[in-house]
Amino acid sequence: MLYPSRIGVVARTVGLAVLGIGALAIGATVAQAFDETKYPDWSGQWRRPPGVGIQWDQTKPLGLGQQAPLKPEFQALLEASLADQAQGGQGEDARFTCIPNGMPRMMTIVWPAEFVILPSITYVNFENHMPRRIYTDGRSFPKTEEPSFAGYSIGRWIDTDGDGRFDTLEVETRNLKGPRTFEASGIPLHKDNQTVVKERIALDKSNPDILLNEITTIDNALTRPWTVTKKYRRDRNVMWFENNCTESNQHVVIGKENYFMSADGFLMPARKNQAPPDLRYFIQSKQ
Amino acid sequence: MLGRGSVLAVALAAMLTIPVGGAWAHDESKYPDWSGQWKRPPGIANQFDTSKAPRKGQQPPLTPEYQAIWEANLKDQEAGGQGTDPTYICIPDGMPRAMNVIFPMEIIVLPKTTYIMIEYLSMLRRIYTDGRSFPEDFEPSFMGYSIGKWVDENGDGRYDVLEVETRLLKHPRAFDASGIPLHEDAKTVVKERIYQDKADPNVLYDEITTIDNALARPWVVTKKYVRELRPQIWFEAICAEGNQHVRIGKENYMVGADGLLMPAKKNQLPPDLRHFNASREEATGATPKR
Repeated sequence: MLYPSRIGVVARTVGLAVLGIGALAIGATVAQAFDETKYPDWSGQWRRPPGVGIQWDQTKPLGLGQQAPLKPEFQALLEASLADQAQGGQGEDARFTCIPNGMPRMMTIVWPAEFVILPSITYVNFENHMPRRIYTDGRSFPKTEEPSFAGYSIGRWIDTDGDGRFDTLEVETRNLKGPRTFEASGIPLHKDNQTVVKERIALDKSNPDILLNEITTIDNALTRPWTVTKKYRRDRNVMWFENNCTESNQHVVIGKENYFMSADGFLMPARKNQAPPDLRYFIQSKQ
Repeated sequence: MLGRGSVLAVALAAMLTIPVGGAWAHDESKYPDWSGQWKRPPGIANQFDTSKAPRKGQQPPLTPEYQAIWEANLKDQEAGGQGTDPTYICIPDGMPRAMNVIFPMEIIVLPKTTYIMIEYLSMLRRIYTDGRSFPEDFEPSFMGYSIGKWVDENGDGRYDVLEVETRLLKHPRAFDASGIPLHEDAKTVVKERIYQDKADPNVLYDEITTIDNALARPWVVTKKYVRELRPQIWFEAICAEGNQHVRIGKENYMVGADGLLMPAKKNQLPPDLRHFNASREEATGATPKR
């Protein structure tokens, strides 16, 4: 995506877009000028800080320790999920099938992420998921687009301290699909997928190598919006790897059952006393 | 990722001395406009050489050993197997197959890196144009490690060709769904020249030369992509979602619409259930037939 020069014109264009005025005038493939000095430097590779696990609220332990503001029905689902996981099951967490974590969980950044900022769009690239596209061209949410795990994200740049440079990206994400959970313990989101995720992403004012993402999740599984602030640390000595969930996934899903693949290549139960798969079609094919 | 500062510094941007992660200027007028969404032209299927028919029509310049592997693969596919196409388990196509662009592609040109995002799995290519060399010790990947160089071929002051070399690939990969194999040693080198059609800026070409020990000579094909002129819509193509293939050991089975395991080819034996104790009789003999 290319933005031919005329720097200076761009800031105004982007400003209009940010105000929502330029929405219709900016064609998706029309080249724009781009004044990079108007945007923060979020280059490099962002990771979870040392010692931070994969829990949703980084300040609390995984599972019940998260004290998620769940409705009683969904609290019961979480407790059942944890009980199932204690028996070797996967509970509410569907990630073992290698579907994406989706929003908001993907912003836990289990594997490193990268922000690529352009005037009309910010990409968030992951090692283990498809990129997020956060549109900052003033568009509105589409009415008919197919829902997705990452959802549809619209952003708005803000210059909160008035120094002439954007410092905060506000993002709203809708149009999601499931199944999704907040974290591996299986803290559930509602199956109606009406989730709305609001983010405020900005550098730590006292440390430019820390990025903060205040994430508010509004979902019908919750009694109130759940706000957590994620912290990411910058690595400037960047190496990117591929992380393909399916490549060495030892889970084998047959119907609604999850089995394991043993090291010697045989199917094995994932939990005690699990019945083997129904092989009726093989019996028929052998006859 | 943002560069900043004065504009004119960038003409040299793709060159040799830009530090990783440092800020720099970006004169966008020096680069071609490859924005938008790129797709295969209408009528083009998923074969590697789009100028030839799929499958046997591809006539890949394979060594005799790999020609035999490919022919065995074609027979296996005709019997319902997957042959040497490994992607049924939802691993990425890898290079050079990813450039078949089965799902749409977006190209983001920045001075130090050109990103190629393909709407499938996590098939994100980073083509580094900051003058770096190939790393000596780096984990191989399906998409490989790509280094590019911008060229102003017609001398008009604007780059028009991106030359790319990709190495550090890993196995298994095939050229296309017909299973045209690449060598297991994964020493593939892929060279590309990406440029727009001089008469039609909405057509992009990728001249791909693949050097691989499965090939008797470098295999050169030219891919054509067309720019989507309607409003762009990006989807998630999540292979693992709804994938009906189940790999158990080295065998590929299918899961039927009713959620039951079924053979993928005629007379295929069921999986060995030796690790199950209870209920085995139920699975192998006592279940009612439909």
